[in-house]
Amino acid sequence: MIELYHVWKQYQKPHWALADVTLSVKKGEFCFITGQSGSGKTTLLKTIYREVIPTEGQIIIGGKNILRIPDHKIYSIRRHMGIVFQDFRLLFHKRVFDNVTIALRVLGAAPRDMKRKAFIALRMVNLHHKIWDYPSQLSYGEQQRVAIARAVVNNPRILLADEPTGNLDPALAHEIFGLFREINKQGTTVVICSHDKELIRRFGGRVLSLHEGKLHGKDSR
Amino acid sequence: MILQKVKYYTREALHNLWQFKTRHFFSLTIIGLSFVIIGVFLSLSNNLRFRAGELSKNLTVVFYLHKNVTASERGLIEDEVRRSPLVGAVRAVGPEEASDKFVKDFPELKDILLNLNGSPFPASIEASLKDPGLSTEKILQFIAEVRKNASVEDVQFNRDWADKIRSLGRLAEAVGLFLGGILVLASFFIISNVIKLNVLARKSEIEILRFVGATNTFIRIPFFLEGVMLGVAGSVLSLLIVFILIKIFPFYLGSSLGALKEIVGFRYLTPAQALALVFGGGSVGFLGGLSSLARFLRI
Repeated sequence: MIELYHVWKQYQKPHWALADVTLSVKKGEFCFITGQSGSGKTTLLKTIYREVIPTEGQIIIGGKNILRIPDHKIYSIRRHMGIVFQDFRLLFHKRVFDNVTIALRVLGAAPRDMKRKAFIALRMVNLHHKIWDYPSQLSYGEQQRVAIARAVVNNPRILLADEPTGNLDPALAHEIFGLFREINKQGTTVVICSHDKELIRRFGGRVLSLHEGKLHGKDSR
Repeated sequence: MILQKVKYYTREALHNLWQFKTRHFFSLTIIGLSFVIIGVFLSLSNNLRFRAGELSKNLTVVFYLHKNVTASERGLIEDEVRRSPLVGAVRAVGPEEASDKFVKDFPELKDILLNLNGSPFPASIEASLKDPGLSTEKILQFIAEVRKNASVEDVQFNRDWADKIRSLGRLAEAVGLFLGGILVLASFFIISNVIKLNVLARKSEIEILRFVGATNTFIRIPFFLEGVMLGVAGSVLSLLIVFILIKIFPFYLGSSLGALKEIVGFRYLTPAQALALVFGGGSVGFLGGLSSLARFLRI
């Protein structure tokens, strides 16, 4: 599902954010990328959703080399991905419903379809009763659950999460990881960047460790 | 699917216009005023062209006679004019009648006339020409013939006036387009900058849209629509202001300008002109949006 071949990324000389990273994540896999701050976790994730173009290397997603796709066509890849950020990135002037359905709007989904899918996604994160609230009326944990609902509302093949529990307390973090596990059980490939080793240990799955841009422990299950 | 997208674009554009209403109100006012300048001069030009057209429809040559001309001399000239195949009708206007007409056209100046002993105006012979399409050369030939008569002091031919008024109309149009053009250019920059501010204000939303797979077009269309809506609303506002001006102006002028009021007046814009203004507004908005998005929304 996700294949990276000899990926290098340099923002500034002489430091390499990613150094010869080669990895493969299979369809339906639950995978953690761990490492200290500045180890290249976020850069690695950004190269997968092509927010960052590697200096060298190839990235194959679902059999397509995403580096060969022109900028104006990259949406076709992103429509099959859900992305969850540490800072949630919700639109605070829009209701929970509008935040969740934004991924459906870009496809021109019908209102009835949007309502149905938003309800299903929000019920999965147990927030269906807050569909008409504004994000500012929700707690941090709830806001992150809305962000997860937004990421999965379109049934993506891949779910990428960048430090999704970085701003949450341990109990909420546990709950959020549990949600990712549930999503993975439904067949979605999940890749989570996290430095919380305790949680990673508790939830299991494949762990890839980054250190100064280099990948270690390619399969430390 | 397309209908849902159109609904989304329209709602987003309207929502943005409402969200930053103060900014949009000021830009709308400036766009409106820019188009008012064009509208006012077009309307002035319309009136001048209309008056010139009216004059051309009824071609008249007026022969002013010397003050001491006798009745028989006047009769001879009148006969000569009447004999011309170009002339349809002839009317002799005495000094008193000319004086009465002046008082009617310029009532404020009535007192000046009363202080004079008798009418200061000369007698004249007005010849209405048969065919408004006659060539100026033929008419000038006819005028030259009559002018040979020593009793004729001066000649006034209204085609000259019509041409002069028409030139004035063209000048008004050119002045309006020049001044309006400068202001419309300013409107273009205003729209461009307003949209730039809107793009910056919605940076986080644009980023999310990109991550969920929105196309460039999907992200850009609401901003284009905002520009077009601003431009169209500004030009419609200008039409409304021009309409009100045309209604109010005669009351403001009163009767101080007398017969000149007919010339220094406004005439409603033609439907084609009104449509052109609205289309111009929309185009300025579209181009403003285009320039802004090309510079500040490179996706």
